[in-house]
Amino acid sequence: MGAGRLLDASSPRPGAARLAVLVSLLAVAGCRPAAEPAAGSEALSVVELLGGAEASGFARALEPRLFRFPADHGAHPEFRTEWWYFTGNLAGPGGRRFGYQLTFFRSALTARPEPRASRWAADQVYMAHFAVVDVEAARFASFERFARGAAGLAGADAGPFRVWLEDWSATGGGELPPIRLSAADGGTALDLELAPGKPLVLQGERGLSRKGREPGNASYYYSLTRMPTTGSLTSGGETFTVTGASWMDREWSTSSLDAGVVGWDWFSLQLDDGRDLMVYRLRRADGTSDPRSAGSLVGAAGGVSPLGAQEFEIEPDGLWRSPRTGREYPSGWLLSVPSEGLELTVSPLLADQEIDHSVVYWEGAVRAAGTAGGRPVGGWGYVELTGYGARSP
Amino acid sequence: MRRTLLLAGLRDWLRHPWQTVLAVVGVGLGVAVVVAVDLANGSALRAFELATEAVTGRSTHAVVGDSTGLPEGLYRELRVEHGVRPSAPVVEGLVELPRHGRRRLRLLGLDPFADGDFRGYLAGGRRSEVDLADLLTRPGAVLLARRTAAELAVEPGDRLLVEAGGRRSEAWLAGLVGDDRGGEDAALADLMLADLATAQELLGRLGRLSRIDLALPEDGGEAVRRIESLLPAGISLLPAAARGQGAAAMTHAFRLNLSALSLLALLCGAFLIYNTISFGVVRRRRLLGSLRCLGASRRQLVALLVSEAAVIGAAGALVGLAAGQALGRQLLTLVTQTINDLYFVLSVRGVEISAASLVKGALLGVGASLLAALPPAAEAMAVAPRAALGRSELESRLRRALPWGMAVGLALIAAGTLLLLPRWGLVAGFSGLFAVLVGAACLTPASAVGFGRLLAPVAGAAFGQLGRLTARGIEATLSRTAVAVAALAMAVAVTVGVDLMIVSFRATVVRWLEISLPADLYVSLYSTPGRRFSSPDSLPPETVAAMRGLDGVDGINTLRHLELATADGPLRALAIELDPRSFDAFLLRQGRPERVWPAFQQGRAVLVSEPLAYRRGLAAGDRFRLPTPAGEIELPVAGVYADYASDQGAVMFGRALYDRLWRDGAVTAVSLYAAPGQPLAALGASVRELLVAVPRAEVRSSRQLRRESLEVFDRTFLITGVLRLLALVVAGVGVLSALMAVQLDRGKELGVLRALGLTPAQLWAVVTSQTALLGLVAGLLAMPLGWAMATIMIRVINRRSFGWSVEMLAPGQPFLAALALAVGAAVAAGLYPAWKMARTPPAEALREE
Repeated sequence: MGAGRLLDASSPRPGAARLAVLVSLLAVAGCRPAAEPAAGSEALSVVELLGGAEASGFARALEPRLFRFPADHGAHPEFRTEWWYFTGNLAGPGGRRFGYQLTFFRSALTARPEPRASRWAADQVYMAHFAVVDVEAARFASFERFARGAAGLAGADAGPFRVWLEDWSATGGGELPPIRLSAADGGTALDLELAPGKPLVLQGERGLSRKGREPGNASYYYSLTRMPTTGSLTSGGETFTVTGASWMDREWSTSSLDAGVVGWDWFSLQLDDGRDLMVYRLRRADGTSDPRSAGSLVGAAGGVSPLGAQEFEIEPDGLWRSPRTGREYPSGWLLSVPSEGLELTVSPLLADQEIDHSVVYWEGAVRAAGTAGGRPVGGWGYVELTGYGARSP
Repeated sequence: MRRTLLLAGLRDWLRHPWQTVLAVVGVGLGVAVVVAVDLANGSALRAFELATEAVTGRSTHAVVGDSTGLPEGLYRELRVEHGVRPSAPVVEGLVELPRHGRRRLRLLGLDPFADGDFRGYLAGGRRSEVDLADLLTRPGAVLLARRTAAELAVEPGDRLLVEAGGRRSEAWLAGLVGDDRGGEDAALADLMLADLATAQELLGRLGRLSRIDLALPEDGGEAVRRIESLLPAGISLLPAAARGQGAAAMTHAFRLNLSALSLLALLCGAFLIYNTISFGVVRRRRLLGSLRCLGASRRQLVALLVSEAAVIGAAGALVGLAAGQALGRQLLTLVTQTINDLYFVLSVRGVEISAASLVKGALLGVGASLLAALPPAAEAMAVAPRAALGRSELESRLRRALPWGMAVGLALIAAGTLLLLPRWGLVAGFSGLFAVLVGAACLTPASAVGFGRLLAPVAGAAFGQLGRLTARGIEATLSRTAVAVAALAMAVAVTVGVDLMIVSFRATVVRWLEISLPADLYVSLYSTPGRRFSSPDSLPPETVAAMRGLDGVDGINTLRHLELATADGPLRALAIELDPRSFDAFLLRQGRPERVWPAFQQGRAVLVSEPLAYRRGLAAGDRFRLPTPAGEIELPVAGVYADYASDQGAVMFGRALYDRLWRDGAVTAVSLYAAPGQPLAALGASVRELLVAVPRAEVRSSRQLRRESLEVFDRTFLITGVLRLLALVVAGVGVLSALMAVQLDRGKELGVLRALGLTPAQLWAVVTSQTALLGLVAGLLAMPLGWAMATIMIRVINRRSFGWSVEMLAPGQPFLAALALAVGAAVAAGLYPAWKMARTPPAEALREE
């Protein structure tokens, strides 16, 4: 489901003013405005826009829908938030390991745009995050950009497929994949071709992913869990030819989380027996899991088995404290899916893969190792951790 | 001894309070004028810098086009396709608030997502109550500085009627920026901020950007070349500093002229100090001699005189600083008005008291006082104790020094003249002017002596012994009168010079206006040339077409004002569609009409205005590089035309060329010829009817335009006139104090005359005619000097400042006025001593001996 959840604005304290939306955003995602930590919630910042507008007036994800492709690869402005989430694990020459994340977030500013004459007039704002982890150099670089969804600066088109924020983009034809990813900032860049691997997976109930008890607290969610990837990646100014596999998550919603959910741990793993595992645990303030936690296991041939909250277990194993933000994240897990006989140890490729921008979260490449039905199995993947604050004194 | 000395000094000043007061006032006035001009100049420039900084932010370069701006797609191209960043699009323009006293604000339209790298008004952690979503999505949402909103008495949520480029739209105040204190507010004071989309809509500039700001690394030569290679023709990359420098450079000559005029006032003030101190020495020679006899060392006497000067200087400086600030406020209004008339729109919120200006003023005051005290102090030191007691010795020494003074004066004049040679710059021009003035002042004593000697026989023949006595008195009292006469001569010369310059200049402009406005009705978008050039607005094409077809219109000229960006700053350009009847409206300084006009009309050549030709060293036959949307083209300069409308200079070319290269059909001004017999009032009414939807358009007859142009001219020279007057006041105070002192000092001499049988009436006549003679000498000296000064100002200063050629006129009136002024001032100064002498019984006057 991705850190796009950060954009979710269904607030524990709904109905308050816009500033409250930001505050709730802080509470839900444990984030803070990037530029002015000291200025606190008074800061006028583009981050405030991420909270989006009042939920009223936007469409809700109430029941399963009929997905139409390629149209559904494009934007759904009738919903408040939406994202295109690409992550992948890659290997360079000599097996040098890299991970990347390239995400485009869309957030609507108003449900009722007024007619405007200027082509710059925007009722959508886009944010993108781009990160590369270079394991051998122990280097993690992340970047953030914002742009209005107008004047050709950012947007999401379905036919042909193009999601872009200035010169960062994901492009393709009608059918996805193939997809081409392109992003660069300073000495960090990537230019990747994502090839067809497995069929598209509708998550949850035929693509309706319920995240809360309240009707409408849900999103539409589909994934491309395994796309063989080739291309080039630049880290620290040095460019490498890379190959590996990528994962795309697509989700749009107007509101999803129930009150009381403070954050989540989300896993996407591509196992070397051909299966792909996605699970997420919604965490409540008291540390327990919300019963809406869920996941799916995609077979080597593409068959999907949904996983309920009771069907998997995630046990943290180790802690990492961010020297920049003072936040403390779990760092390493024991993940099991008893019904499938899966027992995995999941460990970060690098402890510090914290995204420290307008919103703060941990999104990092991981390695999995363990057994599947008694046979050894390994894999690569991505983990996202949100809602972790500084340890209380 | 020191105590005695101090007491002696103090006592003397207390016994002559008026002398002291006048000296302090003289220094004070000089300092005040300098400080005032400095503060006014500085405040105007600082206001401009602040405004520039506020809109330029941290950008190092900007992508700019002509005054119509850039196509908006260029930003997307640079940013999305070529990843050029940091970069930020800007839409900028002037708006007026018709319901708030037509307050003018600069509307700055920014992209909050890109602007954080540059200005941070809209993004970043500033204390603010702005809802960014509102700012982006609600039509007409604008922000104001807290203080500006308070001045306009508007609160967030209030509606604001905004007028820009002739269109009115409703805006609403979405929030406030800045806080109540802090310098930031001053920079924001005249800004209205909005999202770029809103600014495009309010300004009617859909599809256009004003510029794209860039922040390039300091050694960004490669980045500059890369971006330049991405730009279409007619669009260029310029350093951000060019904008600020442009304005500073544009007004440089104007401000330098003001500073120089203010220094003239100080020069008069310095003469006054010199006069006061040296007269103090002369008057107290006996006292000083006695002190020397009593054992005071030379060094002690010098210290006494110098510290006296320092005290006068310091007191004067204090008075001057206080008065200067008040005067500065008045001058600032005039300076701002002139800048608005001639250069660019600038709103100055008040005098910014700069410590540097005050320190400079104080140092000038004290320094000039000390400098002026040095010669008298040296004089006092040089005389032997006994000799100091005799006056005749002083007078004869002075007479012996006359040739030296003449030599110094002539040398100064020669040196000054060298500086006036064409190869030197403006500062050299002013230095030359000052050298000539001071040189002439050095010649004054010798001239006065010569004059007195010439006059003595004439006066003797006419009035007998008494007349001869009066004329001879000039020479006999030289030590006390020379400086006063020099100061008076100089002040009057300044008056004559400035008068002649203004009269000549005005006559030239009047003549130019008479021939340069041949059509009957003039329609233009803005009243000031600065705005006409810099504004992107143009007249609606259908309106222009309708004017062409109007009944009673016999011919039409159209003008397109443009401001083109060049590496040397903005270049004003005029594309003209010219009715052949208007050819004669251009005074060609170079180029023959029969060759110029065909080439001009066909767009094969350009004409440059005289100031531009001067600034860029252009002459007919040279090649001119003209930036156009199709890239830079090179055309021959067909001729140079006279243009007094602006000192910025302009390049002018035929409409044919504009239509070939610009292709936007834009017109900013139109002039119409009425058909024979067509009543102008009726034609004006029908033109106005066509323009109802274009509120900023103004329709004026040629007569009205001439009158308004002259009003601007007069307003521009108002400040010159004020400064001239101030210099005269300073000199007047000097003359008053000097002559009064001289006559009071002659009490004994006059007592002898009274004792010899002179009636009080005769005494009146002697005193008054002697001061009148001194005034006459000063006035006569001032005439050639004033004429020389006017010549220098017109031929050298004006030309080097603005590039204008002005026909020198020398009507008699300023000369006569100068003479009257000099004599009048002198006679006025003699009234009180004459009255006092006449009342004093001779015995009492003689008792002193």
